[in-house]
Amino acid sequence: MTDTDTQAGDAPIVSLKAVGKSYGNVRALHGVSLDVLPGRVTCVLGDNGAGKSTLIKIVSGLHQHTEGEYEIDGEPVHLSTPREALDKGIATVYQDLATVPLMPVWRNFFLGSEVTKGPWPVRRLDIAGMKKTADEELRNMGIVLDDLDQPIGTLSGGQRQSVAIARAVYFGARVLILDEPTAALGVKQSGVVLKYIAAARDRGLGVIFITHNPHHAYMVGDHFTVLRLGTLEMSAARSEVSLEELTNHMAGGAELAALKHELAQVRGVDVEELPELEDLGESAGKSAAEPAADSKAS
Amino acid sequence: MTQHAEPAVTTPPAPGPKETDGRTSRRPLALRLMARPEVGVFLGAVAVYVFFLVAAPPVRDGAAMANILYQSSTIGIMALPVALLMIGGEFDLSSGVAVITSALTASMLSYQLTTNVWVGVIVALLVSLSIGFVNGWMVVRTGLPSFLITLGTFLILQGVNLAVTKLVTENVATDDISNMDGFSQAKKVFASSFDVGGVQVKITIVYWLVFAAIATWVLLRTKYGNWIFAVGGNKDSARAVGVPVTFTKISLFMLVGFGAWFIGMHQLFTFNTVQSGEGVGQELIYISAAVIGGCLLTGGAGSAIGPVFGAFMFGMVQQGIVYAGWNPDWFKAFLGVMLLGAVLINLWVSRQATRR
Amino acid sequence: MERKTRTRKATAITAACAAALLLAAGCSSSSGGKQSEASSSTGSTGKATTARMTIALVTHQAPGDTFWDIVRKGAEAAAAKDNVKLIYSADPNAGNQSNLVQNAIDQKVDGIAITLAKPDALKDVVAKATAANIPVVGLNSGVSEWQKLGLMEFFGQDETVAGEALGKRLNEAGAKKAVCVIQEQGNIGLTQRCDGVKKTFTGTTEVLNVNGTDMPSVKSTITAKLTQDKAIDYVVTLGASYALTATQSVTDAGSKAKVATFDLNKDLTSAISKGTVEFAVDQQPYLQGYLAIDSLWLYKSNGNYMGGGEQAVLTGPAFVDKTNVDKVAAFAAKGTR
Repeated sequence: MTDTDTQAGDAPIVSLKAVGKSYGNVRALHGVSLDVLPGRVTCVLGDNGAGKSTLIKIVSGLHQHTEGEYEIDGEPVHLSTPREALDKGIATVYQDLATVPLMPVWRNFFLGSEVTKGPWPVRRLDIAGMKKTADEELRNMGIVLDDLDQPIGTLSGGQRQSVAIARAVYFGARVLILDEPTAALGVKQSGVVLKYIAAARDRGLGVIFITHNPHHAYMVGDHFTVLRLGTLEMSAARSEVSLEELTNHMAGGAELAALKHELAQVRGVDVEELPELEDLGESAGKSAAEPAADSKAS
Repeated sequence: MTQHAEPAVTTPPAPGPKETDGRTSRRPLALRLMARPEVGVFLGAVAVYVFFLVAAPPVRDGAAMANILYQSSTIGIMALPVALLMIGGEFDLSSGVAVITSALTASMLSYQLTTNVWVGVIVALLVSLSIGFVNGWMVVRTGLPSFLITLGTFLILQGVNLAVTKLVTENVATDDISNMDGFSQAKKVFASSFDVGGVQVKITIVYWLVFAAIATWVLLRTKYGNWIFAVGGNKDSARAVGVPVTFTKISLFMLVGFGAWFIGMHQLFTFNTVQSGEGVGQELIYISAAVIGGCLLTGGAGSAIGPVFGAFMFGMVQQGIVYAGWNPDWFKAFLGVMLLGAVLINLWVSRQATRR
Repeated sequence: MERKTRTRKATAITAACAAALLLAAGCSSSSGGKQSEASSSTGSTGKATTARMTIALVTHQAPGDTFWDIVRKGAEAAAAKDNVKLIYSADPNAGNQSNLVQNAIDQKVDGIAITLAKPDALKDVVAKATAANIPVVGLNSGVSEWQKLGLMEFFGQDETVAGEALGKRLNEAGAKKAVCVIQEQGNIGLTQRCDGVKKTFTGTTEVLNVNGTDMPSVKSTITAKLTQDKAIDYVVTLGASYALTATQSVTDAGSKAKVATFDLNKDLTSAISKGTVEFAVDQQPYLQGYLAIDSLWLYKSNGNYMGGGEQAVLTGPAFVDKTNVDKVAAFAAKGTR
C-alpha cells in the first residue's frame, strides 16, 4: 500500500515492496510494503510478536530480507551491516541499544564518527570542537544540559533517547528509525521524545516510528502501518483513519468483537463499549481491498 | 498537505545559547578531582609510601626506591595493556605465562638454530602477537566470556611452555645465550640500567612511564580510545553506531601480547636463561594492579594512569614488607592486608568526593 | 573493490613474511648456540635381556622444577638400561600424590618408587600396594619414616639432612648471618632444607619468601633484604637458577654477601668456577632416581635389595666448590648433575 497523499515529486527514500524474512522454517515477516518519505512520520504499530523488530532490523541493516525488494532512493539493496545503512543515511535509534551508559554525553554523541585533527601519528580528538558541536545540536533539538561530561547513564531515559535522536539528525540521517522509544518511559518523558520526533520531521527527515501505543503514534504520525502475525493488517494515511479506529485495530478489536456475546456472559464486562464486527469489518476490508495505484493529489 | 489533520506536536523553539538546565551546580574543583578514580589510587599509593617511609627506614634510601620502582615497572608494563583490555570489557588470564612463552621462544629459537639473537626476538614478537590474536579472535567469534577462553589459553601455554622446553632442550630451563651474536645489543635495549646521582636505575622504569604516557594519550585523546570505552561499556551500542568492535577487541588482546613480549625479552636478557615453569599466577597480579587503579571489572571505565599507581602500590608493599623486616611467614598475609587497605582508602576518597 | 584490497593486503603480507624468513636464515650467530655445543658422547646403552616390566615413579615435583627433572632423568636412564617401562607422575599436593600412587596400583605395575614428603598422606596407599604384592621403595624424602611405612628400600637423603650439612659448612666458612631464600612458601622440601640449615648453623638464619614464578621479583626482593640487613654475609638459595639471580641481587645491593645454594645446573658450575657462587650442595638427584628404578629391577629379577631393610642408601650430600667443580662441570653441562 503506498501512501495516499504523496506530494508530486516526493520520492520515497526507503521503499519496502512485499518484503519478508524467514528464519529456517519460521516465517517471521511476509508481504510487508512500506514507503518512507522525507518530512513524514510513518508509524509502524503492532502487538508483541507482530514482526515490528524484524522489520526494523531489515531496514537498519542488521538482518537481510529473504523475500521482496528493499529499495533505497529507488535502487534495490541488500545491506549486510548496520554501517552500510548508516552510510546511506539510515540511522536507527534502538530502545535499549542507543548509548554507552558510562561514557560522557559528548563522547556518546560522536561515537563511531569522532572528529579528529592533526596529522598521523599524532591525530587526536578535537575535544573542544566536539563538545561545542554537541552542545549546539542538542540545543537545536531543545535539550539543555549543564555538563556534557556527565556519563549519559545519569540522564533520564527520555533525555538519553533525545540525545540519540539529535545524534542521528546531526550525522546526516535522512531516515530515522525509532524502535519503541517511549515504551519504557513515563507520560512526561514520552511527551519529550515525541517533541523531538516532530523536530526531526520538521528538519526534513523521514521518520519510521515503531510503537505499540496508538495514542503516541497518532500524535505525530502521517501514515500508519499495523502489523499482525508478521504481515500487514492495515496501511492508511492520517486522513483515512481516526484515533479510535486505530486503537481498535491495535487492541485486537476484531477478536473482541467476535467474542462479544461470549464476553457478555462474564460479569463486569461492559459489552456496550465493544465495537460491532460489522463496523470493524468496514475499515478492515477497505484497507485490504484498496488498489495500490489509488492516490490523491493534495 | 492540507488534507491530513494537523499533527498534535510541533517543534519546540531552540533555547538561547546561555540558557542552562540549572539543576546541577558546579562542585568545587578539589572535590571533582577527588572523584576521579586516578586520584583515589594516587592517594592510596601516597599513603602506602608514607607508611613504609616511617615503618621501614631503608626505604628512605635512593637505591631502595630504585629497587621498588624496578619491581613496580615489571608489573606495571604488563598492567597497562591488561588495564586497556579490561576497559574494553575483557580479561586475559594467559598474560602471565605468555611472558614466559615469549622468552622461551626467543631463547630456544636463537640457540637451536644458532642465529643472531635478534632473530629470536623478532620471532618471539610474532608469536606473542599471534597468541593475542588467537585469544581475541576466539572471544569475538564464539561470544564466550574471555575469562573462559583465556583460562584455556593459560592452561595450554603453561603446558606447552613445560613440554616444548623439555622436548627441545631436554631440560626444564633454556640454554645460556649470553655468548651469542646480538646478545649485548639486545641487553642494552631491554635490560640495561643507567646511573642517576649514584643510583642504578633500570631501564624498564623509563619504558614503563613512557608506555603509560602513550596509553593515556591513546585512551583519552584518540578515536581508538573512544572505541575502547564504548566496546567495554556496551558493545552492542558501539556496533550499532559503526564502531569496529571486532577490530578493537582483537587489537587489545594483541596489545597484551606485545606487553608479554616486552617483559619476556627483559627477563631473557636479564637472566640469560628462562625457567619454563614461571609466570603462573602473575596474571592475577596484573589484573589486581589494573583494578586497584580504577578499572571496572565489568569494563567501560578506567584509566591508564591508575594502574601505574596500582603497580607502584604492589611493588611498594611487596618490597616494603621486606625492608620493614617483618616476619616472613606472614608475608602473603601482610601483602593482602596492605592491598585491601590501599583499595579501601581509594574507595573512601572517591565516596567522599561524590557525596558532598 | 573490497576483495581487491584484501588480496593486495594478503600478497603484501606473504611477501613480507618471505623476506623476513630469508633474512632470518642469513642471520646466524658466530658464537654460542647449538652449533657450538660439545657433542655429548651418549654412552651406548646396553639393554637388559630380562622381561619387560613397568615401574611407576611418583614424586612431589612441582611442574618445571629443575631438581626433580634430574631425578627423572636418572630414573629414565635406569629404565632404558633395564628394559623397564617407566611411568612418571608427580603432584606437589600430598592428597593428589597418593591418588597417583593408587593409579599405579590400578595399572598393576611391577614396582613403585615414591617420595615421602608427607608420610601420613601416603601411609594407606603404600599399605594397599604392599597388599597387592607390589614392592615399594622410597627416595629423596622420608629417611626417618620409610621403615615405618613398610617400604623395602630408601635412596637419597632427606632435605633436612642436606640442610644440616649446609649449615655445618657455613659454620666452617665463618658465616654469622645467613638468609635462606624460599621460592615457594609452603613447599615441604624447601622448608625442610631451611630448617636443616637453622638446626646446625651457629649464626642467625633468616627466611626470605620470594615469588618464584617471577624472576625480576625474586631479584628485587633479595636486593631489598640485603639492603635492609647489612649484616647478612651469606645468601642461601634453594635452586640453581635462584642462586644465579641472587648473585645479581648481591651486585645491585652493593653487598659483600656470598651466595651458596642447593642443587646444580650447567650455568651454576661456571659461576662456581668464577667464584660468584661459593659452593653448591649436590644431593645427586640423578643417582636417587637411577637407584630407585634399578633397585626395583634388581629385586624383581634377582630378589636383591639394598640396605637390609634397616638402613637407607645415602646418595649425598656432596659439596661442589671451586676445588672440584671441574670434575662435575661436564656432567652438569649434560643436564644430569
